[in-house]
Amino acid sequence: MAEVRALGIDVGSTTAKIVGIDDDGRIIWHVLEQADPQVGKQVEKFLELAREVTPILSVPIEGEREIGVPLIATGYGRKLVHQATRTVTEITCHARGVFRELGHGGTLVDIGGQDSKVIGISPKGEVVDFSMNDKCAAGTGRFLENTANRLGVHLDRLGEVTLSTVEEVSISSTCTVFAESEVISLIAHGVATEPILKGLHRSLIKRVVAMIRTVGLRPPLMLSGGVVRNPAIPQILQEETGEEVIIPRHPQLMGALGAALIALELVE
Amino acid sequence: MSIIDSLLYHWNVNILSHSLLRLNIWLRAEISRASWKSKYLAPPLKISWLNKDLVTRHWLRGHYANQRHKVAWVTSGAPTELLKALDYFIVYPENHAAICGTARVAVDIMSVAEEAGYSQDICSYARTDFGTLLSGKTPVGKLPRPDLLLACTNICQTVLFWYRVLARHFNIPLIVIDTPFVYHSEATEHALQFVLRQLEQAIPVAEQVAGKSLQERKLKEVGRLSKMATELWLEIIERNQHQPAPISVIDQFIQMAPIVEMRGDAETVDFYAAMLKEVDERIANGIGAVKGEKKRLLWDNLPIWYRLRYLAEFLGENGVAIVASTYTNAWGELARYYDVERGLESLALACIYVILNRSTGHKLKTMQRMIEEYHLDGVILHSDRSCKPYSIGQMDQRDRLIREFEKPALLLEADHNDFRCFAEQQVANRLAAFVEMLER
Amino acid sequence: MTAENAVLIPRRSEVASAFKQQGGLVAAVLPIHYPRALLLAFNILPMEVWGPPRVDVSLGSAHLQPYVCSVVRNALSFILGGGLDVADLIMVPHACDSLQGLGSILLDFLPPKQPVIPFYLPRGGSQQGEVFFAEELRFLYQRLEEIAGISPSNETIMKSIQWEEVADELLARLHKQRGRLQFKDHDFYRLIRTREYLPAEDFIDIAQSIFDADYEGQQEGIPIILSGIVPEPMGLLKTISEFGARVVADDLACCGRRLYPAGRSEDPFFRMAERILGGPPDWCRGSPIQDRLDHLHRMIDATDARGVIFYNVKFCEPELFDLPDLRQGLGDLGVPTVSIEVDISDPLSSQATTRIEAFFEMIR
Repeated sequence: MAEVRALGIDVGSTTAKIVGIDDDGRIIWHVLEQADPQVGKQVEKFLELAREVTPILSVPIEGEREIGVPLIATGYGRKLVHQATRTVTEITCHARGVFRELGHGGTLVDIGGQDSKVIGISPKGEVVDFSMNDKCAAGTGRFLENTANRLGVHLDRLGEVTLSTVEEVSISSTCTVFAESEVISLIAHGVATEPILKGLHRSLIKRVVAMIRTVGLRPPLMLSGGVVRNPAIPQILQEETGEEVIIPRHPQLMGALGAALIALELVE
Repeated sequence: MSIIDSLLYHWNVNILSHSLLRLNIWLRAEISRASWKSKYLAPPLKISWLNKDLVTRHWLRGHYANQRHKVAWVTSGAPTELLKALDYFIVYPENHAAICGTARVAVDIMSVAEEAGYSQDICSYARTDFGTLLSGKTPVGKLPRPDLLLACTNICQTVLFWYRVLARHFNIPLIVIDTPFVYHSEATEHALQFVLRQLEQAIPVAEQVAGKSLQERKLKEVGRLSKMATELWLEIIERNQHQPAPISVIDQFIQMAPIVEMRGDAETVDFYAAMLKEVDERIANGIGAVKGEKKRLLWDNLPIWYRLRYLAEFLGENGVAIVASTYTNAWGELARYYDVERGLESLALACIYVILNRSTGHKLKTMQRMIEEYHLDGVILHSDRSCKPYSIGQMDQRDRLIREFEKPALLLEADHNDFRCFAEQQVANRLAAFVEMLER
Repeated sequence: MTAENAVLIPRRSEVASAFKQQGGLVAAVLPIHYPRALLLAFNILPMEVWGPPRVDVSLGSAHLQPYVCSVVRNALSFILGGGLDVADLIMVPHACDSLQGLGSILLDFLPPKQPVIPFYLPRGGSQQGEVFFAEELRFLYQRLEEIAGISPSNETIMKSIQWEEVADELLARLHKQRGRLQFKDHDFYRLIRTREYLPAEDFIDIAQSIFDADYEGQQEGIPIILSGIVPEPMGLLKTISEFGARVVADDLACCGRRLYPAGRSEDPFFRMAERILGGPPDWCRGSPIQDRLDHLHRMIDATDARGVIFYNVKFCEPELFDLPDLRQGLGDLGVPTVSIEVDISDPLSSQATTRIEAFFEMIR
């Protein structure tokens, strides 16, 4: 294995990730876990694992600060990573990570647990504009998670079940709480699970498309984040925008990779 | 306009509409009346087809308006008589938005505006208007491009912000008639003078765009027709003091289009005269809008355009009729201010004394008066997310209605045009509980 | 150096009680524009109420629907919770539909122990507007006469206006020279916002002492412009500094949009009207959107700002109407912008700080 030259950690609301990259910015090591409510503890554990691979620059080991590699933290819990050399927002990190993976600019959609974002990336990889969902959770992964729970569909089967039907009902509420009660009333009226799920996906994607329009769509359209594992998301996004959706190889690691790439610049 | 264009216009608007269109609308109305199945609601008024015909032809004319007239876009509280007398074709974006709401295409249209950056927290009428502007989407075929904008702040400050966006978009003059809010029982003399001076100053601007000058005779004629229609409308809604009420407020919401959109036209006067006749026939025959009317309600605030039928049926099923509303009343109550001889001065009064430009206490008094005059059993206050001036104060108004008048009052959270803010289940539960309360 | 050790910033409550001890009255004044000079001519000290944050909002929520902004809701909560008991009257200028509603329910349904005085600010920028506003101020004069029991002469009002004009000129200088003063943003805004409750004379003393003190150098940081209503919670300004940026000019309703020019008229009422209506472009006076855009553009040119933060109070419809055109207009000029929405009762959310930080990373 090549030597880890920089580290990036992305502490998200649903998952936490850490990535180690080599001199060329390739991912050569990573860990991905469900987020622990005790962020500090999880970060400590990640860094323990990281230290097995390489010493970390900013953590004084036996009083020697100069040994090791830099670590950049991102994600909503970034400020809790006291060991980080620096913190950078997930906007900048995602853009950097995806640009590195795909080699071109465009419009990146990242649907996270509590935040969704749309980032306009220039051909040189710079952030040109961005938009995030408002306070309400309607445009995020949590929206689907809650209602899928209510319908008794396991998260892993969500996409499969959704795509198994051509029928669809329209869900008008954009508020998670109201959408849930809308779903309950649909169930009460005897509507099957699949068309409801498809309607929910459509409703979520429509919110995301509205964010894309506010930033302005610069093709190609790219998608990252945990929800990529749900095949219904890219498919419906494609239907709604008429654009082919490109997904990087490690869609969940883009933030951490971006952080590591920024860390690598500190070495160079 | 060329001869061919002119012929085409007459063919489409006058001949085609007078024959085919009218026939079509009449036939459809008759079929719908003949096949009327509701156990709880009376069939629509026979006159309804005429309303549809008037509105349809209005928008059909709108299609060609840019070739034949100067076009003005105006707010619903604006003194349009001035523009009408200058032969402007008048478009009410609020009315157009309501049509989109009733046709349930408003959300589709307003999402275009949202994608362009207009927040879901701004008025859903404005969002619908911007959506049509940006996408061209409309159920009426085409909106004629405005040459002039007229915004009067007597219904809200929102229209000022909305029309500033329009003025920038179209790069055309915007006339603002600013009407100082009446916090106390009377408007101050200097506030009235201010409105009057603005009306005077609006005339040369409107004349310049129109390319003609305002004729006193014409203004008087429009004013006279306007006053006649308004008085007829007031008479019609006041007929609901009879029990059972001949026409529900839900019907009024639909039948009010001409008084808003075509005030000052002779046809509008004819229409309401015919309607009054039919309403009187209903009274003579003991027909009520709700069969077996048991309870009578007051509606406060704008309609929920996309759920009119639902509300009528839900309440009708329980023998509950909405028979009066502060909203439809607003287009009638100003009749007394119109004085053809006093011209601009009476227009200024009518502008400033609109219910929305008066205090929250005045609105409560209006509701209390209506409760007595119409023998009402309760009140539904539509808390309209899109209309702050109408809605702020409702929580205390409701409280007073319950405490001082001992009338059940329901605050119903919704939005006049955005069905995403209408939580069906919650509304149904609340309405059901409210009906139970009325029955106690 | 912080504002505290450079100059002593007096607290609102202390200023109010000191003023009352000397026989004056205190008026609680809601946003945005009002005739400060007129109140002071009656020996009434205006004490502005922008929110405030950290009040028990449930008091206001019993009377206002959830879609009313936090500035108005908090103000009502504050009044109902006794926070304004020190005031002898409450003045409610007409600025928007929500403040209009607040003024009206205070008069009709929730009368506090003090008199409530509303007044109307004309829109549309016409000559007629000025005439009306001067009359409206005369009308206000009569109400204040009843409350204060004195009838200040035209000369007294004129003198009061002149004090205000001097204070406003110094305020404008502070705004302009902020980069050379030794204040971080948070302290700078605490300093200039004393204008919301200090008599003009006291503000002049403070401003003068700052100009008299030795200062040098240039503030560091990415230059940005702040647009919106009010920089609350004030933690925002600390966040901006922490992320390596600084506010070089603002288009805030409580600050930059109230840099009133000196008047010309010899009639005190006209002069006050002229000043208030002649301020920088503002939706509240009905200024065209293009004027607001031009104004922002001039500010950017003058300060080399690299971006604009639109910092809006959730549900503030007037700001939201202008926002797309302003952002697009600035975008066309190559100026990046970001829009943040807040509820002033809440601490700045981590999502809001992330947006701000990401914005600085983008324009750095």
